[in-house]
Amino acid sequence: MDFAFTPDQLALAETVRDVLTEHCPPKALRAERLPAWDRLAAVGFFGLLVPPEADGLGLRLVDALPALEETGRACLPGPVVETAVVAPYLLPWVPKLASGAVRVSVVPPGGAGAPDADLADLIVVSRGSDGGAVVVGREAARLRPLPGPDPCRRLSEVSYTDATPLDRPLGPALRAATVATAAQLIGVARRLLEVSVSYARVRRQFGAPIGSFQAVKHRLADVAVGIAFAAPLVHRAALAVEAAVPDAGVPDRGVPDGGVPDVDRDVSAAKAAAGEAADLAARAALQTHGAIGYTEELDLRFWLARAWSLSAAYGGAAEHRARIREALAGGDLRRYP
Amino acid sequence: MDLDFTRAERDFRAEVRDWLAGHVPDRLPSMDTPEGFEAHRAWEALLASARLSAVSWPEEYGGRGASLVEWLIFEEEYWAAGAPGRVSQNGVFLLAPTLMAFGTEEQRRAWLPGMARADQVWAQAWSEPEAGSDLAALTSRAERADGGWRLYGQKTWSSRAAYASHGFGLFRTSGARHKGLTYLMFPLEDVGVRPVAQLDGLPGFAELFFDGVYVPDAMVIGEPGDGWRIAMAATSSERGLTLRSPGRFLATADRLVALARDADPALADRAARCWSDAEAYRLHTFHTARRIAAGESIGPASSMGKVFWSELDLRMHGLAMELLGERAGTTPWLDGFLFALAGPIYAGTNEIQRTIIAERVLGLPR
Ligand SMILES: Cc1cc2nc3c(=O)[nH]c(=O)nc-3n(C[C@H](O)[C@H](O)[C@H](O)COP(=O)(O)OP(=O)(O)OC[C@H]3O[C@@H](n4cnc5c(N)ncnc54)[C@H](O)[C@@H]3O)c2cc1C
Repeated sequence: MDFAFTPDQLALAETVRDVLTEHCPPKALRAERLPAWDRLAAVGFFGLLVPPEADGLGLRLVDALPALEETGRACLPGPVVETAVVAPYLLPWVPKLASGAVRVSVVPPGGAGAPDADLADLIVVSRGSDGGAVVVGREAARLRPLPGPDPCRRLSEVSYTDATPLDRPLGPALRAATVATAAQLIGVARRLLEVSVSYARVRRQFGAPIGSFQAVKHRLADVAVGIAFAAPLVHRAALAVEAAVPDAGVPDRGVPDGGVPDVDRDVSAAKAAAGEAADLAARAALQTHGAIGYTEELDLRFWLARAWSLSAAYGGAAEHRARIREALAGGDLRRYP
Repeated sequence: MDLDFTRAERDFRAEVRDWLAGHVPDRLPSMDTPEGFEAHRAWEALLASARLSAVSWPEEYGGRGASLVEWLIFEEEYWAAGAPGRVSQNGVFLLAPTLMAFGTEEQRRAWLPGMARADQVWAQAWSEPEAGSDLAALTSRAERADGGWRLYGQKTWSSRAAYASHGFGLFRTSGARHKGLTYLMFPLEDVGVRPVAQLDGLPGFAELFFDGVYVPDAMVIGEPGDGWRIAMAATSSERGLTLRSPGRFLATADRLVALARDADPALADRAARCWSDAEAYRLHTFHTARRIAAGESIGPASSMGKVFWSELDLRMHGLAMELLGERAGTTPWLDGFLFALAGPIYAGTNEIQRTIIAERVLGLPR
């Protein structure tokens, strides 16, 4: 039992954070579609989960989790989870995947569209109920942009003239994507809290910083509590998804007696909690800022939008809560670990 | 990072589970009745005979030197087995850690083994009529006497004090607000005790009246004047971990999900959320245990746990009351609900905890 990130896992996150601080500042969010992507590629970010045979590092999802959280914290645009997490599961043979030269987007089952599909070389389109999917090349795809809240994560409906059926099950990749998105949401929530605390310390009314008022303090304390108790569910889910799939190219890592009881339930718990923590953080951030927070001009708007867009991605909280309820109604209350 | 229990931890879990399966009694009468109090003491003595009443203590005091993770495992099994509430809670989980950290070896030898067997049951005497959230405003005092101290003043809301044998608390030994407080233990024999009935009608706590009660120097924990610092160190362990381990809430959540199985989906959804939240508290605690094992101190972050578990407990029991309606009183849920209602009040109210989080974790201005 060692439920804390290792120095290596944290060092990886630190590297990603440094790159994003320098190359994905808020002004880049206004100017570029893919800020910092080439820099992230240069530090090997897109090869983290790619198997070594395909020139990747073959790491586990949990190893990359703090780094993924950083991409949320920085509000990094582009199909990050789809390229860095989904593609290594579904398309590991695609040449140059590890180098970041190929961008991938995904229309998940039940999803309205694919994020940043116009920037993707390949689009995985799920076919709904039968659990299968096809891979569509950019040239064969017709995209219809969908209106949405997030200017840096634009969805498109995808139709296509030509597609290759995917020979791998979508399940494990979708679980990993859901957990990775939850990790990004934790990063978004942490950033929203930091920004709100900073503002509450400097903004003065009635001759005092607004952060000295108890109503403001308690609201932000609730955000801190929400994040503190959502994050461990996300971390556990990252361990669970791989413990549950011994054949996903991952060597046996000492799965507990009896295996992992219900991975989908644990993934849903992670996504629901992270989405709600981020929603609460967004709500509190806006209220703490007052009217200036309600403007397009303040950078805060990017993180508000990201909280909303990611909490809806790969299933919203209500959907995941319903899945947890159904799983529990089945009577299996065993827990991992 | 991993979540795997070691072979030894799994063996320990199996041992505890077996023992409990063979020994947990049917529901005991409330510990706040004379016969229930004795029944709960007898249960503690039985637990102690298997060295299970304080597993994390060193062996010489009656424990088995269990790690923090093993203690968490014990707690999961304990509450899952439906075992009785702990009448010695405030001694075992609040006074004992204080004695381990700040007491003398003589004090530990004198009091811990008896505490583990519930030969003595300890009541916490901190609050006063005019010192609740503002604990440092307390005015009960200890005056120097030959070889010891004489205690004067009044304490209140002292849990278990109606039947307990001993108490521990803070007394003023000089005027300085924080630095004038001294941490003392005392027998309840010579203290005036007025039991106070709680919402369930039973005397779960009591008022204490001190009129020159004598205690020898050996009953002072730490140095005179150091009481505030010692008490604050103890509360961070109280809020953070030892007061309410995850096991209790996991067991409640399991029962709640079973209760809500055939309920309207909106209600069943709320039960499912509570179940996940209990898991979140468990996982968070595994992380905390890891930090403590690595020598970190948890400090003000322990307030987050206190807010989270107390409000989770109330949500769970509140939902059970909704599900059961007028039949709630025929089940143990009603007592559980009444007890859960106190969670956001005791051990520092949740308003105070939120202020601590805001100021000392987030760094907002006072
Ligand atoms: C079941 C139960 C068992 C207990 N057991 C013990 C025990 O064994 N030993 C013991 O010593 N004590 C015990 N207590 C007492 C407990 O510690 C106190 O109730 C608690 O510290 C609050 O003090 P108070 O009741 O005087 O409330 P007050 O301090 O009067 O507070 C009343 C309300 O005002 C709010 N408030 C007060 N100050 C502030 C502030 N600065 N900012 C915002 N809001 C504020 C509080 O949050 C609360 O909502 C117990 C209490 C209960 C309910």
